[in-house]
Amino acid sequence: MKKYLAIFLVLVMALAAFAGCQTTKPEDGKTPDTQTEGTQTEATTTEGTETEAAEGSYEIAFVTDVGQLMDKSFNQGTWEGCEQYAKDNGKTVKYYQPANGADATDADRFEAMKAAVENGAKIVVAAGFMQANALTQAAKAYPEVKFVFIDGWALTDGENGPVLDNVAGIAYQEEQAGYFAGYAVVMDGYTKLGFCGGGGGTNPACCRYGYGFVQGAEAAAEVKGVDVEIKYSWQYGENFSASPELQAMATGWYEDGTEIIFACGGSMFASITAAASANDAKVVGVDVDQSEESETVVTSAMKGLSTSVVWAIGKFYEDKWTEIGGQNTSLGVADDAVGLPTETWSLTGWTVDEYNTLYAAVKDGSVTIDANYPEDMSTFAGQHVTVTVVK
Amino acid sequence: MSYLVQQTLIYAIPLMIVALAGVFAERSGIINLALEGIMIFGAFIGVLFVHLCQKYGVFELLPNNGNWGTMQLFELLGMLISGMLGALFALLLGFAAINLKADQTISGTALNMLAPAIVLFFVRIIANQEELRLYKGDAAQWFMIKKGMLGLGESDGFLVNTFLNKVYLATYVCIILFVICAIILYKTKFGLRLRSCGENPQAADSLGINVRRMRYSGVLISGALAGMGGFVYALTTSNCMSNGDVAGFGFLALAVMIFGNWKPLNIAGAALLFGLFKCLAAGYSSIDINGDGTKLLFELSKHPTWGKVLNPNFYRMLPYLISLLVLAFTSKKSRAPKAEGIPYDKGQR
Repeated sequence: MKKYLAIFLVLVMALAAFAGCQTTKPEDGKTPDTQTEGTQTEATTTEGTETEAAEGSYEIAFVTDVGQLMDKSFNQGTWEGCEQYAKDNGKTVKYYQPANGADATDADRFEAMKAAVENGAKIVVAAGFMQANALTQAAKAYPEVKFVFIDGWALTDGENGPVLDNVAGIAYQEEQAGYFAGYAVVMDGYTKLGFCGGGGGTNPACCRYGYGFVQGAEAAAEVKGVDVEIKYSWQYGENFSASPELQAMATGWYEDGTEIIFACGGSMFASITAAASANDAKVVGVDVDQSEESETVVTSAMKGLSTSVVWAIGKFYEDKWTEIGGQNTSLGVADDAVGLPTETWSLTGWTVDEYNTLYAAVKDGSVTIDANYPEDMSTFAGQHVTVTVVK
Repeated sequence: MSYLVQQTLIYAIPLMIVALAGVFAERSGIINLALEGIMIFGAFIGVLFVHLCQKYGVFELLPNNGNWGTMQLFELLGMLISGMLGALFALLLGFAAINLKADQTISGTALNMLAPAIVLFFVRIIANQEELRLYKGDAAQWFMIKKGMLGLGESDGFLVNTFLNKVYLATYVCIILFVICAIILYKTKFGLRLRSCGENPQAADSLGINVRRMRYSGVLISGALAGMGGFVYALTTSNCMSNGDVAGFGFLALAVMIFGNWKPLNIAGAALLFGLFKCLAAGYSSIDINGDGTKLLFELSKHPTWGKVLNPNFYRMLPYLISLLVLAFTSKKSRAPKAEGIPYDKGQR
């Protein structure tokens, strides 16, 4: 018995020693289709020569938002941009998912960024507004590394401290994309709409999408002279994940007459398309063109994630970082960064020409879209649209 | 109303069948805490089967390609395979509990921890992310039965709309299986022997019943039903997705089993009650019970005074509140199989 205990103790100590040596690494996945093939060597030595470091390291890093990497939406769009730049320019790229999934803390996110930098990242793309604190910490810790903050803003060191000029804040005018989607579906003849948003109403991007959607529906209802009802909910979407409850709620809406739901939040899409498919109803996708994912998708409110990521990484490699570093960049129709996928949509009551006319009108400012979303959408005072908030 | 019935069934059926799985194990004397783990594993196997069939175009190879009946056959096949692999997974529990005479609570818990890990490991390899979905399309599009398919497109009767429209065959198969299993447990020689092993295995042994064999049968049937329940859960409530999680339905099923006093009929009632309130909580905003156009629950939740109590959070609390209440009143009569959890020892008496 004593002998076993001794062996056990030795094992425990040996394991503890190992654990002490290794830095805790976040979950990181494989790197498909990248320049570097084969597995990555553990714990790249920082003292290695230039060439060694280049072989075992990844220059471009992507730190994901909550939700899946291949969510066919936000994370995936951003990741595809990173991948594309790497492919076109012969760079190496790797993604990092902060530990603990949907419950990731700032510390988990920082650990992911730290791992990225330790693996040789020169530029880190971080997606999602929840990364702000971790990014501030990382940007201060690694001033030589550049950070692209997607769905974010320029960060400062402390409340009133100096602006961190190695962080580029890139946001989108989602309200414009939402506006086009709302306008399009009402012009197409739908009058009973739904909106299921992710983040529980705290995610600014989703709030802007939703507000734009309502405004677009209002504008189109005015043109067509119809009354439109919108059910508006943040329920069951806190983690941007699919759930039986969300599917039950969406099914209820469809059974109750709702014709189309704007599925605004990552994997929530799966639950809503499941409900739509069961009821022969329709869905509006979000962030990227989701028409391939399900036959129920009529159109998608897109933001040009991958193009803008390519653009931002390009700024870094072309030595033009100062143009975006430390600044807020807000991309919208003016930059052709938001819109609807005209080639794959299945609208029949509204033509691409009409869409282009509207697009131009938004671009030249003759149609204005409000971005300051109200806290409670039931206060929306529309002439033709009634918003029912489902809590 | 149709909505209420259908959604209630969607919640209740996996609970019911998995709770019955628990009964088979416990009646034979093995506590099966691993229901959650087996469900997760079964869901993964079933989803993987459908995913691979889609990927390699198996559906297209069939002579009756596109025929909804053929798809139902595949659904049944998926259930069968997930049931078989679920039984295999449960063998681990059986081996630990029967051969090694291990603590059944601990080995069950171990399986619960093993299943999500092993599933995520494989999902990661197969899909390069943390969830495995259908290769293409939606579950409803592939497997759901709609009244148009049955040539009842014109019909508007309540029964047709509720039970023959927008339903999965799996739901009915589970109900039939439930009935058959309940009959086996109570009306056959095998069932009597199985139950005796959970009450007094020494006495059963003295009458020539092979306790080991009976207990293995209980665990295997339990695993098969739970694995199948896992796939049915994934198919009907999560668009055929496997992510190492079944939203705690396995544990809920355990609760339903205790709630139902280890008796099939009570279990069915408990599962339906729980499912009904789950459905009310998620769909209260669109439930119109009497069909007059007003949604009573939704209106109440917005009412200035009533809304303070009957708000959405209260609705979401209801399933658990009701369970607690019923348990408080019925638990006195509740009686677990006497020998459950105790490894069989011939020398004991």
